[in-house]
Amino acid sequence: MKQIEFKNVTKTYNPAKGRYGLLTQALGGNLNRIIGRKLKEERIVALKNVSFSVERGETLGIIGKNGAGKSTILKLISKITYPDGGEIEARGRIGAFIELGAGLHPELSGRENIFLYGAILGMKKKEIEKKFDEIVDFAEIKRFLDIPIKKYSSGMYSRLGFSVCAFCDPDILLVDEVLAVGDINFQEKCLSKMLSFTKEKSIIFVSHNLEAIKSICSKVIYLEKGKIKKIGSPDVVIKDYLKEATEEQI
Amino acid sequence: MKKWFLELWKFRELLWVFTLKEIKIRYKQTILGVAWAILQPAALTIIFTVIFGLFLKVHSENIPYPIFAYSALLPWTFFSTAVSFGALSVVNNSGLVTKIYFPKEVLPLSAIGAAFFDFLMASLIFILMMFIYKIPITLNILFVFILIPATLLFAIGISFFLSAINVLFRDIRFVVPLVLQVWLYLTPVIYSFGQIPEKYRVLISLNPLVGLIQGFRDVTVLGKMPDLNLTVFSLVVSLAVFFLGYWFFKSKESIFADVI
Repeated sequence: MKQIEFKNVTKTYNPAKGRYGLLTQALGGNLNRIIGRKLKEERIVALKNVSFSVERGETLGIIGKNGAGKSTILKLISKITYPDGGEIEARGRIGAFIELGAGLHPELSGRENIFLYGAILGMKKKEIEKKFDEIVDFAEIKRFLDIPIKKYSSGMYSRLGFSVCAFCDPDILLVDEVLAVGDINFQEKCLSKMLSFTKEKSIIFVSHNLEAIKSICSKVIYLEKGKIKKIGSPDVVIKDYLKEATEEQI
Repeated sequence: MKKWFLELWKFRELLWVFTLKEIKIRYKQTILGVAWAILQPAALTIIFTVIFGLFLKVHSENIPYPIFAYSALLPWTFFSTAVSFGALSVVNNSGLVTKIYFPKEVLPLSAIGAAFFDFLMASLIFILMMFIYKIPITLNILFVFILIPATLLFAIGISFFLSAINVLFRDIRFVVPLVLQVWLYLTPVIYSFGQIPEKYRVLISLNPLVGLIQGFRDVTVLGKMPDLNLTVFSLVVSLAVFFLGYWFFKSKESIFADVI
């Protein structure tokens, strides 16, 4: 069964909007349109005609340079942002661990944050209560449960975030390069947790850690400038990626 | 629109958790804590009593000026807090908007939920004042169960509009306090509706808060029926603003993460 499917997905961003969000400018823009003057609008292309699918139980790795569009794919799947063209389908509950500290509030305690983040991920209070001890154990934050997490280290932040995501029982788990802040032991723990998912869940894993990708992914996409450069088994794709990276350096 | 309500219902626990979060963090690292919820309308009541009750001798419909002022400042403070926090709610939570999927109307709704909590706290003082000033209570007080929900809907609707526009244009942040200041004077808070010269009354009544706030004062401390024309008008406007605001918010929601 296909859990995630991308069909010719294109996503562009307007770099000006929002950064210069002034009322006067918007009115000016409308005025220009009325008198027929066309303003040049350059849009940044984040993804162009991207198609792929992820089966149930499959783990997909995404590699590529900074700005290649890796995170955009995750954001599109989790419906944080929407595509300009093409179709996206994602079935089931999504656990997205995309950015460090997303969904956590610095002024609240670790305990309160577990409930806050759990609710954001769509868990019911009872479910969270049931999983609470497991989450705390996995995150190794028992001693700090009742202090505001603004006092936490970034490693603790990431442990807390990943644990809630992993235990919210998602059908699709999205993990971005956020594990990097945890220490080696925790990274190992997360990878083996993800590996234990691979039977019945789908995972998309974005990382620059090629070893980690190799160890858990069954398929890898190599993205370049918003296009799929190569898709296939981890060994082959990673080899290509490394070859091109070294060629560029020379 | 039914789809939106259904999804919102699915996320009701999130709305509850967010509202609790709003309430908790609002008073974190403050010495007086929740007392601030009461101090705001109370401080205004004292200032208004001195200036308008004592110095300018504003007519207060035969009840002591402090409770006359407080009975209107209570719903007014709720409305103005709800709108000020609601308008900024989406932008203030941009971290969530750009990183996590959930129906974004949860943000203004939880901001207003927190303001409603403040309102309930401040109501305790109101009840206490009713006792101290020995205000007789009549059955008309039951009208608050229409007036308060209507005020709530009106505040939510306005916040839907403002919070969505604020994502695109941050000017809203400066517009809201200014408009609220003017709005306070256009609403019978300091004075009573009856003191407005007859020829201006229709014009002033276009402000839906007139019916809601004067109505609240009428049914609580004055113990009389609210002006039904005004009440019905306010109710209709509140409902319209709520639904239009919701529609507007949802139609802009999909671009929030890109332009915020």
